Amino acid sequence: MSKIHFAAKLKRQLLFDWIFHKVTWFFTFVVFALLAALIGSLIIGSMPAIKAFGFDFLFSADWNPVTEKFGALVPIVGTLITSIIALSIGIPVSFGIALFLTELSPPWLRRPLGTAIELLAGIPSIIYGMWGLFVFAPLFAQYVQPWLQNTLGQIPGISFLFEGSFMGIGMLTAGIILAIMVIPFIAAVMRDVFEIVPPMLKESAYAFGATTWEVIWYVVLPYTKIGVVGAIMLGLGRALGETMAVTFVIGNAHQLHASLFMPGNSIASALANEFTEADGELYTSALIELGLILFFITFVVLAFSKILLVQLKKREGTVT
Amino acid sequence: MNIWEKKITAFIGPSGCGKSTLLRTFNRMYQLYPSQEARGEIMMDGMNILDKKQDVNMLRAKVGMVFQKPTPFPMSIFDNVAFGVKLYETLNRNELEERVEWALQKAALWEEVKDKLNQSGISLSGGQQQRLCIARTIAVKPEVVLLDEPTSALDPISTARIEDLIFTLKEDYTIVIVTHNMQQAARVSDYTAYMYLGELIEFADTDTIFTKPKQKATEDYITGKFG
Amino acid sequence: MTFGLFWLSWILFTLFEKGLGGISMAIFTQMTPAPGSTGGLLNAITGSLAMVILATLIGTPIGIMAGTYLAEYGQRSWLAPITRFINDILLSAPSIVIGLFVYTVYVAKMGHFSGWAGALALSLIVIPVVVRTTEDMLRLIPDSLREAAAALGAPQWKIVTLVTWRASKVGIMTGVLLAIARISGETAPLLFTSLNNQFWNADMNQPMANLPVVIFQFAMSPYENWQELAWTGALLITLSVLGLNIAARFFLRKQVSLN
Repeated sequence: MSKIHFAAKLKRQLLFDWIFHKVTWFFTFVVFALLAALIGSLIIGSMPAIKAFGFDFLFSADWNPVTEKFGALVPIVGTLITSIIALSIGIPVSFGIALFLTELSPPWLRRPLGTAIELLAGIPSIIYGMWGLFVFAPLFAQYVQPWLQNTLGQIPGISFLFEGSFMGIGMLTAGIILAIMVIPFIAAVMRDVFEIVPPMLKESAYAFGATTWEVIWYVVLPYTKIGVVGAIMLGLGRALGETMAVTFVIGNAHQLHASLFMPGNSIASALANEFTEADGELYTSALIELGLILFFITFVVLAFSKILLVQLKKREGTVT
Repeated sequence: MNIWEKKITAFIGPSGCGKSTLLRTFNRMYQLYPSQEARGEIMMDGMNILDKKQDVNMLRAKVGMVFQKPTPFPMSIFDNVAFGVKLYETLNRNELEERVEWALQKAALWEEVKDKLNQSGISLSGGQQQRLCIARTIAVKPEVVLLDEPTSALDPISTARIEDLIFTLKEDYTIVIVTHNMQQAARVSDYTAYMYLGELIEFADTDTIFTKPKQKATEDYITGKFG
Repeated sequence: MTFGLFWLSWILFTLFEKGLGGISMAIFTQMTPAPGSTGGLLNAITGSLAMVILATLIGTPIGIMAGTYLAEYGQRSWLAPITRFINDILLSAPSIVIGLFVYTVYVAKMGHFSGWAGALALSLIVIPVVVRTTEDMLRLIPDSLREAAAALGAPQWKIVTLVTWRASKVGIMTGVLLAIARISGETAPLLFTSLNNQFWNADMNQPMANLPVVIFQFAMSPYENWQELAWTGALLITLSVLGLNIAARFFLRKQVSLN
């Protein structure tokens, strides 16, 4: 081969190498810049509202587009309460599913069940919302709500949670639909977490004559504690930001009620319902500030869960 | 030490003694990993390989390497062999076909694959894959071929075929082979170097090393008292 | 515990029960109707397809390039760890916030809702998914393959484009499929970006109809024929999303067995 030709080709290769490196770098930078732009635009967009209301925005329950008085308390509380309901139902159930999948189920069932759970996690949230509104809510109003009022509603101290008429929609329904949505999600992550417990560890506990439950309680759980919390946090992040499923069933009312049967509002559904109708700079800006608050809450939750999951991996000795 | 042209030089020694690491400096493979660096001088054709000015890709085109595990690329057998050639040479279709056939014949693989050049390289057996990798390496017409434990992942029959192959290749190439199989070193190499804990303990022609080594450590290793 | 299967089958059952009756040629040939009259979902289906395809075309190259950078050049750069973290945040950021973002930087500037804005918002959801799977899949490729290519004197860009991309092709495809599955059901970011359109529209600069928003508006409406169409649309979306997910799963298994 001729030397000159060789050198020319070499030069071209080096140039391409440089270009390729820069191109991939550039696109990475684009991804990086996107988030910066996202946060930046939210902050800029919410400046008028921040200037007008200051910190009161967070603690005021007013929401009046006509007089241009806005406060985020109702949607914030709604978001938190529905998420808490979702998690308090979702955690035990998904915990059970994950344990069943890893420890108890016969091996031939594991694959199909696991796949079903993952598919359930992939169904668009608007489907959950529709299903909740048209199928679940009527049944809920007819059977579950009266029953709840007659049982839990009779206990002094928490009876106020279950007052009011049976409309089917409201905070409790929203929480339950959210629970159904996050269960497959949390269960799938938890299953992955449980699967990293070394079989040797479990076998040696069984060798001592421990029962399945003892092994789960004293070996599996302590070993995966952090990962389980991480999974829950991921589920929480999803529940907090969920829009469509909640919008269908929460009732969309800017009111604070003690009762879980009454309609309320969450940040995401307030945005979904009102943003396109918002007129006036302050109205729009207040809604954008709501978005900023939502983003901030989920950011904190996600960052926290990431740190926990990384710690679990470190203990595993498989930092990636 | 010197590595003689058109001879086979073997590096032996216990695991972790630095044989492969040394081999990987000959084509600056260590450079893929930012945490690794090399000091000293390795001279080839009167130039220091480790010199920053030396172009790595040109060096690697001159110093071919075959790895422990067969690493066929996810493409057809033909493209696997043509991959390196196309990088630095402009050949027309005929020349390229000739070159691929030549390399596969050299690697004693032609008869087995000539009817299925369009099949994926991954579909071959382990021994065939390794010969494909050797064909791929010599297709570039390098001056030196580095072999990093080329048979340790293969069965005895494939191993024997590859050893035969290495033996015939020395007519055209300078060959450096790393192995932890002493019999293999004794069978195929002209010169042998014994390494231990990152140090070169002894280097001489293979007969001397295996029959009357000067160093006690070498003798212990070769006679199986150690390692 | 058959809990998971119980919900899955209940939801699917409802969808089929309420949606199947509405499936007819009219769905695919007629526009969305006014309340009380009959019609189909043609403009919504094509609008959704157009935006999903555009979003995939915008998001996939960016995602693959960035994922490649993270996996192949990431070790020696300040940008990589930060981007990796940010990408994870974007991956699970509430999709409605992404809609809000596109609204403020694009819709508000242009002064009107448009199909382009919808496609942009969706591509912002595609990117992090593709980045993540591309990086993960490239990392599955053993270093020995890269070394083998480097040993032949191949420059890095050839190693990446000819060897590692090829080896992880199936895995990267999976990521793209998963991303498409995710955006085809997304509603929230489209509410403020592409909005909706009662009529046929092929102009990406105009508000554009799309299935999820149509489902949302029709389901929330008091008109029976709209609600029926919403169920049919919901069935269509769920079937395509489930189909994409199953296809992705199939590809993923193939990739894992390849390595």
